[in-house]
Amino acid sequence: MNWFGFGFNAFGQILDREQKVSPGGDKDDADDDVKSYTCLTPIKLERVDSSQQSRLSASWSRTAQLRLHDEDGRVYLSGCGVDVADGGCMTESLGCKDALLGERYLTLGFQNKAECWDLQRHGPAPAWSMETSVPGGYIATKPPFYRPLAPQLKAVSLALGAEHAVLLSGSGIVYTWGIGSHGQLGHSGLTPEKEPRPVEALCGLCMSSVATGGWHSACISAGGDLYVWGWNESGQLGLPSQAMRTSQGHESIKETSSCQEASTAARGEEQKAGESEEVFISIQAFPALLDLTESCDVSKVSCGSRHTAAVTSDYGQLGDGTSRSSDEPRCVAFFRQRGLTVVDVVCGPWNTFAMAAAKEEAAQS
Amino acid sequence: MAAALWSTISAVLPPDEARFPLRFGVAVDASVEEMLLRCRRQLYARTGPDSPRAAALTAAALTAAQIVTDVSWEQLNTGTWRDVDKEWRRVYAHGCLFKAVALCRGAPGPEGALQALKTCDLGLLMGASILDDVLQRLVGVLQEEVRRAAKEEKEIRTEVPEVQAKKIRLEIPSAPVIKRSNAVPRMHCPSLEHFKTNNLLTKQPIILEGVIDHWPALNDHRWSLEYIRSIAGCRTVPVEVGSRYTDEEWSQRLLTVNQFIDKYISVKEGPVGYLAQHQLFDQIPELKEDIRIPDYCCLGDEDEDSITINAWFGPPGTVLGCKYIRLYSPGDSSKLYPHESPLLHNTSQVEVENPDEALFPEFLDAPFQECVLRPGEVLFIPVQHWHYVRALELSFSVSFWWL
Repeated sequence: MNWFGFGFNAFGQILDREQKVSPGGDKDDADDDVKSYTCLTPIKLERVDSSQQSRLSASWSRTAQLRLHDEDGRVYLSGCGVDVADGGCMTESLGCKDALLGERYLTLGFQNKAECWDLQRHGPAPAWSMETSVPGGYIATKPPFYRPLAPQLKAVSLALGAEHAVLLSGSGIVYTWGIGSHGQLGHSGLTPEKEPRPVEALCGLCMSSVATGGWHSACISAGGDLYVWGWNESGQLGLPSQAMRTSQGHESIKETSSCQEASTAARGEEQKAGESEEVFISIQAFPALLDLTESCDVSKVSCGSRHTAAVTSDYGQLGDGTSRSSDEPRCVAFFRQRGLTVVDVVCGPWNTFAMAAAKEEAAQS
Repeated sequence: MAAALWSTISAVLPPDEARFPLRFGVAVDASVEEMLLRCRRQLYARTGPDSPRAAALTAAALTAAQIVTDVSWEQLNTGTWRDVDKEWRRVYAHGCLFKAVALCRGAPGPEGALQALKTCDLGLLMGASILDDVLQRLVGVLQEEVRRAAKEEKEIRTEVPEVQAKKIRLEIPSAPVIKRSNAVPRMHCPSLEHFKTNNLLTKQPIILEGVIDHWPALNDHRWSLEYIRSIAGCRTVPVEVGSRYTDEEWSQRLLTVNQFIDKYISVKEGPVGYLAQHQLFDQIPELKEDIRIPDYCCLGDEDEDSITINAWFGPPGTVLGCKYIRLYSPGDSSKLYPHESPLLHNTSQVEVENPDEALFPEFLDAPFQECVLRPGEVLFIPVQHWHYVRALELSFSVSFWWL
C-alpha cells in the first residue's frame, strides 16, 4: 500500500520541488517555476516502504509520516525547513504511537506521555509535555495544548477546525463547540458554544466518524451516509457555491483537481446553469445529507482548510469536494485508471493524501 | 509603454531587496515568512524582457503572491475581525502588493492594470498600512495608467459618436408628512457654545443649516454620478445587497464603483444595493478632500483623528439626497424590540413605517422625532439614539462619529 499526495506543494511537502522541475536543478530555479508549487495529479510519496504500516498528518507547509514498524514508531517530516538529506527523520519521535502535525508544533503520543515539539525553533527539549496516564482531556495543535474534556462524553474521536471542535462519542453521538460564525457547529445558528453540545439534527442516527475543515464539518453514519455543514465559500460542502459560479471562479491554487477532464466538465455545467435562478449556499448551519453518487457508501472523509475528500467503499473512488472550479463532488479518476483501490484519505489544509492499494491487496486486508 | 509603466511602478517600491524590510511578529508562521521572502526575491529578480525566463518568473511570482494572500485571508476569517492579529493584516497587504506588482510585469494591458488596481483595493480594505502607504501610491500609478489607456481608446474611436450620458430620472417616493409636534428643530449656523449647551450635552437632536455650504462636494467638486465615476470609477468597494442587513438574502459583495452604479444606482428595478459602511475616505483620499469635518465635531473629548467618517451611497429607498429620518431616544429602547442576537442587538426588529402591531404592540407608543433632511443640511444624532433613515432620492451622505 502506498500514500499518494496532490495539491499544494510550495514547500515540497508532497514531492521535492527541485526534482519536480528538473532533477538535479537548484532551489532558486524551483522557486521561479510555477509547476513546482502544485501537484496536479496524485504523486506517490517517496521514502515509504510499502510493507510498513504508516499514518499521515499534514499542516499547511509540511507533511508528517508516522511509520509504525515493530512497535518502533518514527516520524518522517517533509516540507518547510526540513533537510531532506537526512531523510527527514525526527530522532525524538522514536518509539511514538501517534503523531499530529500543526503549522507550528508536532505533537507526539507515546505510551505514557505526550510531547509537543516546536518546529520553528527546534530546541533540545519539547515545548510542552505531560504524562497521559490520567485521561480527561485532549491535546490541541497550539497552546494551550492540554484542554479538559468531560469524561461523561466517552469520546472516541475528535476533530479540530480553525476555531471549533467536533467530537464523536462511544454511542455514535456528534458533539460540537467553539465559534459558530460560519455555521460549522451545526446547531442551526451562528452563535458560539462554550461546552460540547450534541448536534440535534443528527440525533437518532449512529455516526461512525467525524472530520473538520477550517470552518466546516463532516461526519459519516454507520450506514455510510455523508453529512456536511458549515462554510461553503469554496464549495467545500459539495453544495452550490456562489463564488464558484460567478465571475471567473476562484483563481486560487490551493486544492487542485486531480483530473483535468472533470474540472472542464464542471465549467461546462456552470455556463448552462445561469446565474440568477439558482439557489446558492454560503453557510449551511445544520447537517445536510450529501448525495455523492447513487448507491455508494462512504467509508472515510477528511477535510482541508476549504475542501473535502471522501472515500466510497464500493469502488474506492475519491470524491474530491472542491477543486479549481468545483462545488460538486468529483471522482478522482487517477486511482481507478491504475487499478488502485483507495482505503484511506487525509487532507492537509491545501492538499490531499490518499492511501491506495492494488485491488487484490485491498481485498485481503 | 509597458516599460514606462514598469519604471513608474518600480519608483514607488523600495530600490532593492536590502531596503525592503520583511519582519513580522510571532503570530506569523515561519513558513509564511519564507513565502514572503520568495515573493520579494522574485520581485527584484533581474530578467531581460526578452529572456525566456521572464514569462516563467511572472507566473511563479503571481502564484507565490496568491499563496500569501490566500493563507492570510484565511487568518483574517478566523475569529472576530477585531481580534485578528494586525501582523496577519500586514501579511495580507504584502501579498496584495506582490500580486499587484506581478500582474504588471511584462505588458499587462488595461485588463491587467484594472486587476492590479482591484488587488491594491483589497489590500487597502482588509490589510494594514505597509511601507509608507505603498498600496495607496501604487493605486495612484495604476489609476493614471487606466485613465491613459481609456483616453487612447477614445481617440482611436473618434468616428463613433459619443453616447450622451443618459439623465437618470428617479421617481421620488412620497415624502411622509412631518407632524409639527414631532419635527426635529432647525437652526442656521448656531454658535458652538449654543450647540454644546442645548444639543450635545443634553442629547437633543437638531438640524444644522448652512454649516457645510463651503464643502467642495457642494461647490466646484459637486458630487454627481459622473464626478464619482471619474474620481473612483475603477476602485473596488464593499457593497451590501438586500435592503436591510437583517434580511435573509442580505449579502456583501466587492464591486467597482462603476459596476455598483450600473447595477444598483442607474436601474429602476432589481435588487437593492448600497455602499457598505466602511472607511471610504481613507481608501479614496481624493473624496475626503471634498468634505470638511464640521467644527461641532471638535467639541468631543477626542482629537480629530479619532473621528470616524463613514459614507453612504445608495438608490432611493435606502439613504440619500433627501432623506426621511426618525429618531427614538435610548430611553424607549424596550418599545423598539431590538434583535436578541449579540451581532444585531442595536438593530430593531420593527419595520418602522409599516409596523406589525400584533408582534410589536408597544412600538406605536414610542415617542419619536422626525424630519426630511435636504441636501446640504446636517442632522445631529445624539449618542445612542435609534435612527431610521429612508432615502427619498439618489443620495450620498457622510456621517461623522465622535464622542
